[in-house]
Amino acid sequence: MHGTSVVVGVGESTYYRAGRAPESEFQLACIAIRNAVADAGLQMSEIDGFVTYMDFQRNDALRLMTALGTGDLSFSAMSWPGGGNISAMPIQIADAAITAGYAKNIVVYRALAQGQFGRYGRPPAVPYATGAAAFKTPYGEASPAMNNAMPFTRYMHEYGVTHEATCNLSLASYAHAQRNPRAIRYGQPLTREDYYASRWIVYPYRLFDCAQENDGAAAMVISSADRARDLKQQPVYVKSAAAGAEQRAGLQATYNEPYFPYARRLHVADRLWSQAGIGPKDVQVAQFYENFTGSTVMCISDMGFAPPDGIEEFLSNGNIQWPNGKLPINTSGANLAEAYIHGFENQLEAVRQVRGQSTSQVENVEFSLAVGGPGAPVGSAALYSKQA
Amino acid sequence: MSYMPDGWTLPALDDLNRPFFTTGKLMLQHCVDCDRVQHPPEDICIWCQGDHLDYVEARGTGDVYSYVVPHHPPNEKLTTRVPYNIILVRLDDYPHVRILGNQIDAEFDEVTIGTPVRVTFEEIADQNGGATILLPQWVKA
Ligand SMILES: [Zn+2]
Repeated sequence: MHGTSVVVGVGESTYYRAGRAPESEFQLACIAIRNAVADAGLQMSEIDGFVTYMDFQRNDALRLMTALGTGDLSFSAMSWPGGGNISAMPIQIADAAITAGYAKNIVVYRALAQGQFGRYGRPPAVPYATGAAAFKTPYGEASPAMNNAMPFTRYMHEYGVTHEATCNLSLASYAHAQRNPRAIRYGQPLTREDYYASRWIVYPYRLFDCAQENDGAAAMVISSADRARDLKQQPVYVKSAAAGAEQRAGLQATYNEPYFPYARRLHVADRLWSQAGIGPKDVQVAQFYENFTGSTVMCISDMGFAPPDGIEEFLSNGNIQWPNGKLPINTSGANLAEAYIHGFENQLEAVRQVRGQSTSQVENVEFSLAVGGPGAPVGSAALYSKQA
Repeated sequence: MSYMPDGWTLPALDDLNRPFFTTGKLMLQHCVDCDRVQHPPEDICIWCQGDHLDYVEARGTGDVYSYVVPHHPPNEKLTTRVPYNIILVRLDDYPHVRILGNQIDAEFDEVTIGTPVRVTFEEIADQNGGATILLPQWVKA
C-alpha cells in the first residue's frame, strides 16, 4: 500500500533565533500551514486533518481548525514524545490515515517559540528527579547535550571515530546554509579552524556540534495520489515511513539497552528499507536530524550507509557536501544551520529535493530520505520518491 | 561534601528505587522467578514478566564504560560547578547493567574509559526534610 499518499504542499514561517519571533507560537503555526496549503493550491476549507508530534497542549487541532477556518475535522493524531527523533512519525501517521481514507487533506506541522515557552537546552534545576531521571540528574546529567554525548564517547572509543567525523558533518550543514536564504546561519560560514576552536559544551561536543534553538514553524499537506493529480505541485510520494524502537528500548533512558553504543535506529532502518524495497545505495540525497553531531554520525551508520568503523571515511573528503559529494547530507543547513524546528524543517527539505526546489539541488533525485533523529529511544524516518 | 553542589537535584524516592538510594549498598532489583537482575527497577520483570521481585547486593566494582564532561551549565545551579565528570560504570558481576555516577576522586579531565572503579556512598541530607540519601558514587579501584 505504500506510495498511495503524496506530499502536495510545504510551507514555513520565517525562521528566527530563539526568542526573537514577533509572533506567538500559534501564529507561527498558522503562517506555516497557510503557506503549505497555498503551495499545494488547496483551499483551507479542504483541510480535514491535523497531525503533529510532541506538542503537549500547544497548538492543538481544535484550535487550529477553528482559527484557520478549515472544513470539518475528520482526523487528528499526535505521536508519542521523543523530540526531533519522531519528526517523521507524523508522516507515517498521515500516510496511514490517507491510505485508510480517514481524511482527504492532512496538515502535518511543528511550531516552536522558545521565547514564549522556554529552551530545551536550559532546563531549570529541579529539587527532585523521578523515574529514569532519578538515576541520572542527581549526577549532573541534566541536559539533552549530556544525554546525547554518553553513547558517542563509547562509540569513538570502540570504533576509532574521531572529531573529524563530527566536524565534517557540521561543515557540510554550514556550507549548505550559505546557499539558503531561509537559514539562520546564512552569511555566517564556518571553517574547520572555527569548529576546533569553539568551546566545549559537554565533551565530546563542542559548540558547533550542537543544534541551534529557534522560533518558527514548518508544515506539509499530505493528500491521496488521486487528489494530487489536479494540484499545483509535482507529486512527492511517501514511499516509506517508519517509526519505532528496538526491543526493550526503554532501557536506553539509562544506557542499559542490550546493544550499545549506537543511535537506536536499527529497527527504523530495517522497517524503512524493507517497506520501500530499496536500500541506502539507491538514495540520492538525505536529511538527518542533528540535535548533536555525534548522535547523527551514529545514525547515518545505523541507517545502513556505512558500518561504524567506516563511517568516518564515509563523511570525509567532501562526500556529503553538495554539489560533488556522493551523498549530499543536510542540504538546507538543517538543525545546525538552517533552523531547529524540531527536525521538521528537514522533512520539508527532503520534499524540495524531489521537486527540484532545493537551494542545493541534487541532480536526478528519485529517492530522498529524511531521518527523524538519533538519540531518543523512539525514532522515525521517511523516504520520499518521484514515482509511486 | 558531595560531588554535586549543595541543593542539587535528589532522586525522588519511591518503592522501586529506595533500596538503591538509601541503604548504603549497591542494591539491584532481582527476579525471584527467573533469577535475573534488571536495572533500572520496574514493577514487573522485563525478562520473564514475573511479579516476584526482590533486591540483591552487587559487588560494587566495575569499569568506566563511557563518560562525558559537562562544561556549559544548563542552569544557574551548575554555573560554578562545571566542568565535572559523569561516568557510566559497567558492573563486573552483572555486565549487562550500567550505572551512571561521578568518579569523585578524578578531576574532569582525568577520566578514561576502562578505569577500574569501586562504589562508595555520599550521604546527602534532603534540605526539604525527606529521607537522607546515600548516593552510590565511584572511585578508582
Ligand atoms: Zn524474571
